Amino acid sequence: MRELILSDITEMGAGLCVIGIEPATENLFRSVRPIPPQGFGWDRSFPHQRGSAVCFESRPTSGSPPHTEDQNTHGLQASGTRLSEFELVDRLQRAEVSTDLEGLFACELRADSSGGNAWVDPGEASRSICGCLYRNVRFLVFQDPNRVTLRARLVLTSGETLNSLPVVDREWRCFMDEVMQRLAKSGGRFDLDRYLNRFIRHKLLQSLHAFARVGLTRPEQGNKCWLMLDSLFPQPDVSWLDIL
Amino acid sequence: MSLPIDLETALATARASVANRLTPLPKDDVDLVETDALDSMGWVDALISIESATGIRDFGNPWPDDRPKSIQALAEMICEAQKPAPDIRSGECHRAGTQGESEILIGGWGCTLGSRTVNAEQIERDLALPLSKIRDGAGMESVRVAADGEDELALAQRAADNALEMAEVAVEQIDFVVATSTTFLGFPSFAASLHSRLLLRETSGALDVGGACTGLIYSFAVAKSLLRSRPQGVALVVAAEVHSRRLNAPQVPGEFRGLFGDGACAFVLTNAAIDARKGGVRLREFVWGCSGAYASSLGVKVSENAGLIVQFKGEQLAHAAVTEMNRIIGALESLSAKPRGEVDYFALHQPNPRVVEILADKARIPLERIPLVSKACGNLGSVTCGAGLCQALASLHESGDRSRIPLIFMAAVAPGLLWGGAFLN
Repeated sequence: MRELILSDITEMGAGLCVIGIEPATENLFRSVRPIPPQGFGWDRSFPHQRGSAVCFESRPTSGSPPHTEDQNTHGLQASGTRLSEFELVDRLQRAEVSTDLEGLFACELRADSSGGNAWVDPGEASRSICGCLYRNVRFLVFQDPNRVTLRARLVLTSGETLNSLPVVDREWRCFMDEVMQRLAKSGGRFDLDRYLNRFIRHKLLQSLHAFARVGLTRPEQGNKCWLMLDSLFPQPDVSWLDIL
Repeated sequence: MSLPIDLETALATARASVANRLTPLPKDDVDLVETDALDSMGWVDALISIESATGIRDFGNPWPDDRPKSIQALAEMICEAQKPAPDIRSGECHRAGTQGESEILIGGWGCTLGSRTVNAEQIERDLALPLSKIRDGAGMESVRVAADGEDELALAQRAADNALEMAEVAVEQIDFVVATSTTFLGFPSFAASLHSRLLLRETSGALDVGGACTGLIYSFAVAKSLLRSRPQGVALVVAAEVHSRRLNAPQVPGEFRGLFGDGACAFVLTNAAIDARKGGVRLREFVWGCSGAYASSLGVKVSENAGLIVQFKGEQLAHAAVTEMNRIIGALESLSAKPRGEVDYFALHQPNPRVVEILADKARIPLERIPLVSKACGNLGSVTCGAGLCQALASLHESGDRSRIPLIFMAAVAPGLLWGGAFLN
């Protein structure tokens, strides 16, 4: 049995994508993406949380680059206790990390438009998940008919920027759903941009673990793997809704 | 006042200037500095006192190396002086900005200081300076020093966030950032790095302005000029300095290093016409220039092995700072058509608090109208007069008095000797 600490739980279509970290060499960790017995995504009722320890039996896997972290499983079982957010980020900083854009996936990042999201050529990238400290963050909100979608801009420690990253972090997506419900009830008394880019952003930048995990989508048409924000730390706190 | 021409009159003037700081008076031929009767700032104070009494411009600056610093020598120097130099107030200044053009409003401001406070005694111990050199000699109680993880960009980001919050301006609205920093070396430049750090939109501009301690005033002038061609525009003006790391080199004299602190300030500028709902202070006109005669009083260069070479003549610099800033204030009186007695606040560059006290005395400015940033924070370089301006604006804001338009003078000098001033109301 292998044991993982769950680090990323992201929304992917109708299901969830999950990543964990396991010990690699002394004091270092590596990311593993457990794949359920059927399909790529876990059910939305996935019972585990970030920081939870889970164990699994591995099955033969033929993951293709850049998703080299893929690991087929028979399912996940809870094991051990749950790490605090601080402990989790401490371990993630000892997993795949980069201070600059090129180091994220060990390849060049490309963008089709100024200020647009970046993508990588799957033949060039050597991994599909990486962590980074960020020095600044701003949010962009898109009001889709069914659900609001959130995008983020990040500044890495190198001073380089990531633009228009889709936020697929399950906790942030759920938080945004709650925010939108409260805003709807408030009768327009609150400015969403102000709430996100002043109040929430201030909370994030004040944190001692302003850390993000950036992942890659599966190759899409045109052979592009788009970047997405798998995890944004600190995670949203329900008390941040009190102001609304 | 007329110039004394005989030695007896000159001696009396010299004795009186020294007596302001020293009683009983030593003999006329005693070297006052060599014998520690006066420290260097006390000597500068005496020179400036004579300058005020006689009208001799830049009296004793620089002081000849081969002369003792005695009362006798002061008197002889008075006699040798033939005529006072023309006053800048007579109209020799260059002016920038034209009355009647678009009015530029400071819509928001923010100031951030290094998180660590280091008191004067600690500085003296760390830099192996004589006891009380910083507290009594320079008049500083402490300096603010950047903590680990705080650099020019981190401090500037916090200051900018506060300024934008106050102005109720989103980063997407900023058309350009004008930034100045002496301690941020390398490329990408400070403005470019700040542009990325603040996540400004890609079509907003980023412009670096030099000028060292005058950099903020020059940045205001540049931003105001740029806004003229963009009536709906919004500018962010930022200054940031982290001296504690840049000057942390063995070649830098301790009495120079010990004076400096770390911080940042930021201001949001908008066209007053489109922001009429807001109160606030308007950037009016500027004066600037460069007095090369003092160029050797302070120099900082990067050596071939990437070390720092500092040339620092403290007395000469203090004298030049007082003289020039007094002249800038005079020029601003002319430009604003307001006497200094009507000025609410003076946001001044502050090499150290003692220099400010001497300037206040010479310029006849009540000390309480000068936000004394340097006393608790140290000399913040280009941020100093910005921090003073933030304090002044905050005081005016808190007072809530809308019955009259406040008046603020800004003045700064920098190596070169660059000088600049501005008035706001």
